[in-house]
Amino acid sequence: MSRSAAVEVDGLSKRYVLGATSRRYDSLRERLTDVPRWLLGRRHETEMQQTFWALRDVRFSINQGENVGIIGLNGAGKSTLLKILSRITDPTSGSARIEGRVGALLEVGTGFHAELTGRENVYLYGSILGMRKSEITRKFAAIVEFAGLAQFIDTPVKRYSSGMYVRLAFAVAAHLDPDILLLDEVLAVGDLAFQRKCLDHAKELQKRDATILFVSHNMFSIKTMCERVIYLRGGRIEHDGPVEGGIELYEKDCRMSALTWVGTKPQEWPIFMTGSELLDERGAPRRLFDFGEKMTLRLAYDTRTPVESPNFIVCILRSDGLPVCNYSTEVDGLDLGRVSGPGSIEVDLPPIRLVAEMYSISVLIRAKGFQEILCGQTAGMFHVRHPLFDTHFGVFHETPQWRVAGAKFARLANDRGCIRAAD
Amino acid sequence: MTTTLRRVTTIRASRGWLDLDLRAVWQNHELLWQLVVRELKLRYKQAALGVAWAILQPLFTVLVFTVIFGIFARFPSGGMPYSVFALTGVLPWTYFSEAVRRSATGLVTNSELVRKVYFPRLVIPLAGVGSPLADFGFGLVLLLAVMAWHGVAPTWSLLTLPFWMLATLALALALGLWLGPLNVRYRDIMHTLPFITQVWMFATPIAYPLSMIPHKWRALYSLNPMVGIIEGFRWSLVGTARPDMGAVAIALVLITVSLVAGLIYFRRMERSFADVI
Repeated sequence: MSRSAAVEVDGLSKRYVLGATSRRYDSLRERLTDVPRWLLGRRHETEMQQTFWALRDVRFSINQGENVGIIGLNGAGKSTLLKILSRITDPTSGSARIEGRVGALLEVGTGFHAELTGRENVYLYGSILGMRKSEITRKFAAIVEFAGLAQFIDTPVKRYSSGMYVRLAFAVAAHLDPDILLLDEVLAVGDLAFQRKCLDHAKELQKRDATILFVSHNMFSIKTMCERVIYLRGGRIEHDGPVEGGIELYEKDCRMSALTWVGTKPQEWPIFMTGSELLDERGAPRRLFDFGEKMTLRLAYDTRTPVESPNFIVCILRSDGLPVCNYSTEVDGLDLGRVSGPGSIEVDLPPIRLVAEMYSISVLIRAKGFQEILCGQTAGMFHVRHPLFDTHFGVFHETPQWRVAGAKFARLANDRGCIRAAD
Repeated sequence: MTTTLRRVTTIRASRGWLDLDLRAVWQNHELLWQLVVRELKLRYKQAALGVAWAILQPLFTVLVFTVIFGIFARFPSGGMPYSVFALTGVLPWTYFSEAVRRSATGLVTNSELVRKVYFPRLVIPLAGVGSPLADFGFGLVLLLAVMAWHGVAPTWSLLTLPFWMLATLALALALGLWLGPLNVRYRDIMHTLPFITQVWMFATPIAYPLSMIPHKWRALYSLNPMVGIIEGFRWSLVGTARPDMGAVAIALVLITVSLVAGLIYFRRMERSFADVI
C-alpha cells in the first residue's frame, strides 16, 4: 500500500529577536526618538538585538495515518514547531507542506467567552477551529454527550468549573474530524477519566487513518499513542525513529537537568547532582513500582567549592505538578558536615502508598538552615501501578480499620434527630 | 467528510506583496458571522435595558446637541427641526467611530485567539466594522420615529442609503487595517483613538451644517472624507441639499486608496502578530 506524506517539513527554522520584541512592545515614543538615528543610517538596534533560534533546520516527513510524538525538554522548540504547522506564526526560513484538513489544539478553550452559554460557545469555538455551522449543528448532540454537560449547556460558561470548561472545549475540538491533528499537551488538563476518554478518541481517529502530531511530557501517553517520536534538543532534531530510543534520550536529558525556576546559573552552583538511581527493595534499579512498595533513591553529587552541611531535599511531584511529599536531610536529622568533592547519599523512602500515576522526583540542595538554594535538579520519574486506586481515590491510600459498632449510637442519633436524610 | 479532495497547505517564510488571499476570508465567513453575533450578544447581555441602549445612546447625544447647539447656540439646520438634523449626523458618526474603534483594537482584545488559533486575521477588523451595523439599524428606527413626530417625510433619495453606508464601512475598515497592526505594536493607538475621533467629529458637519464653514476653507475642509459622506447621509435620509459631488469624489478616492493600501499593509504585518502581540 503506497502512502503519501501528510506532513512534509523541509529545513524549517524560526528565529526570535529577543531585544526588539520587548522594545517594540514598549511605546511609540522610543521608536520616535530612534527616528533621527535611523535616518542617519545608524541602526544601533541591530547591535543590541539578541536573536534566539527556537527551531533550526528541522526536516522530517510524516506519512498519512502515522502517529508521531514530539518530545524534548522545555524550550526545545516543540510548541514553536506546532505553531508553525498550524500557521499561527510564520517560519523564518524553510517550508512545510501539509495535505489535508488540519486541526490544532494548542490550548483548549481559548476561543471561549465567559459570558456566553455553553451552547453559544460550542458554535463560536467550532467556527474558530474551522467547522461549518451545519457541521456543528450535525455534531452538536455528540459534542454535548462527549463532554457530559447536557444539563448545563444553556448556562453561561463563567459558572462552569474549570474541569467542565475544559471538557466542553475538548469535546468540540475532538469532533473536528481532522486529517491531521496537532495536540500540544492538552491532555494534561482535566481529570484522568476524561484524559482516558480523550486518548480513546485519539485512537478512534487513528483507526480512521488520521495523522496525529502529539507534544507531551507524559512518556506514558507517548508510549500508548505513538509508534514514532521526534526528539528535539535546542531547536534541532536529535532523534527521529522508534519510541524507545527517543524516550531514552529524553530521560537521560531529564534526569539531572536544572530546574528552570532556580534563578542561578547551573555552571555557578557550588554543589550539584551528577546522577540518580531509583532502586527497589532488592537494590535493582526500577521505574515501575507496585502500590505501597519501598523505594530507595541514590544520589551522586560533586562540589565546586566546599559546602557546610548541605540540606538535601527530595520532592515527589505528581504528573500534574502537585507536590506529594518532601524529605529533607536537615528535618530528618542527618548532618552531612563539611562536604567537598564527589560523594553520594541514599534515602530509603517509606512505603508511601501513592495511588497509580506517574511521579517525578526533584532534588534541591539548600544551604544550612533552609537558606539559599544551592542547586535544583530533576532526578527522573517513576510509575506506580494498582488495579483500583487511581487519582479518583485521592493522592494516597492507607487502609483504615473498619468495624461493626453497637446499636446504641444509632438509637442515640435517631433520638437527637441528627439524620434528616430519610425525610 | 464533505470534501473528497484533500486541501494542501504550504507554509513558507515569506509570501508575496500582493498575495491578499481574500478567498481564505470568504471560506471563513461563518466565523466572521459568529464573531459579529458574539459582539452583539455580549454588548446587551446582563444589561437590564438590553437592546434599548442602542436607541438610548444616540437619543441622549441628540438631546444634548439639541439643547446646546439647537436651542442655546441657535445653529442653523437647513430648514428642518434641529433634532432631526442632528440625528442624521449623529447616527452615521456613531457607527463610524464604533467601527473604527472595534476594528482597530480587535486584534488586541482577541489576543488569546491570535496567539493560539489560526484563522485569516482579516476576519477580526471585518467583524469590528460589522457588529455596530446592528446598532445603526436600531438607530434608523429611532430616526423614523423622530421624523414622524416632526412630520418630516423621507424622499426617493433614501434609496442611496446603502451607498453611503458602504462608503462609511469601507473608510472605517481602511482605518482599522492601518491602526490594528499598529496597535499590536504600540498600545498608544488604543489610548489616543477616542481623542482623535472626538476632534474628528467636530471637524465634520454633525452638530452644525456645512454652510457654516466659510467658502475659502471649504476645499481644505472637504479633504475630510466624512464631510461628503455625512452630507450624503443627510440628503439620503431627509432630502436636504444634494451633497457636493467634489467632496464625495474626494472621499471615494481617499477611501479606495487607503483601503487597498491598508489591505496590503495588514497582510504584511499579519505574520508577526502572534509573536509580537
